[in-house]
Amino acid sequence: MRRDSLKLDIQKITEGEESVVIRYREPNPAIERVIGILKDDTGRIWGKADGVNVCINTDEILYLESVDDKVFAYTEDNVLKIDSSLNSFMIETGDEIFFRCSKSMVININRVISLKSLSSNRIDAMMEGGEHIIISRRYASEFRKLLKGGR
Amino acid sequence: MKKDGKLTLWERYLTNEIGIEFKACLYFFAILFFYCMYRLIMGLDDARIIHMAEMIFTCYFIGYMQVFLFWNFDEAETLGIKECTGMVVCTALYCIVSYIGAWFDRDLKVTLLMALYLLICYVCVFFIYRSKRHIDDKKLNEELRLFQSEHKKSE
Repeated sequence: MRRDSLKLDIQKITEGEESVVIRYREPNPAIERVIGILKDDTGRIWGKADGVNVCINTDEILYLESVDDKVFAYTEDNVLKIDSSLNSFMIETGDEIFFRCSKSMVININRVISLKSLSSNRIDAMMEGGEHIIISRRYASEFRKLLKGGR
Repeated sequence: MKKDGKLTLWERYLTNEIGIEFKACLYFFAILFFYCMYRLIMGLDDARIIHMAEMIFTCYFIGYMQVFLFWNFDEAETLGIKECTGMVVCTALYCIVSYIGAWFDRDLKVTLLMALYLLICYVCVFFIYRSKRHIDDKKLNEELRLFQSEHKKSE
């Protein structure tokens, strides 16, 4: 990965303003992540849409899906490939509005329009885009608890 | 329950088992009521323990079949062909066991009446589960709105 080939040049100074200089040929996820940390862009995430690096607010995400070890974030008008796993996304954002609803999906609860109780204790969540996402019975009881205010 | 809130294999098994036991109790009670009414009409005021034991074991066995073979038809979303097939097969099984066990003195008319009674029971249970889910929908959506408004406030 390119991240490994990044050269680190750390200098301790005794006077003058503290600064960070980033030098890169082409933007890449590692660089974007470093910039993100420096800019303190909490609540924002970088991803690739049609080969172009895009940064979006996490609240724009309707849901995330993991397909063949690749994670895609779906917004109303875009699909972003994210350089992260569902687990690390959940840890990084640490936001209660994101809920792991099955092995391969995470939903944004704030983007759910309505819920429908299904048989076998499953829940059908209708998202703003009109998609129906099933919260499996394995996660449904935790989801109910979360809605009631306790996780 | 695991630390991450997911159900363990044991808890999932237990949930299934409780569901089946509940079904067994429900249908046992329904059949027992029919059996008691039959006995009363026949001028008898006692029930045979062996018949009751056969009923409860049949209810357990058919409960498992309902869940694992017949798409849990009484808890289904809609009443389609496969659900109706499940209902008819389970009712037929109850009738066969009742006939062999002579719950109704091997009277075909009473056995057929029980079949009709069981079918009505299944349809009623289907509608009861459906209305329970409708009530649950309302509760879930209320809680969802509350969660969303609370979260938006805290943003």
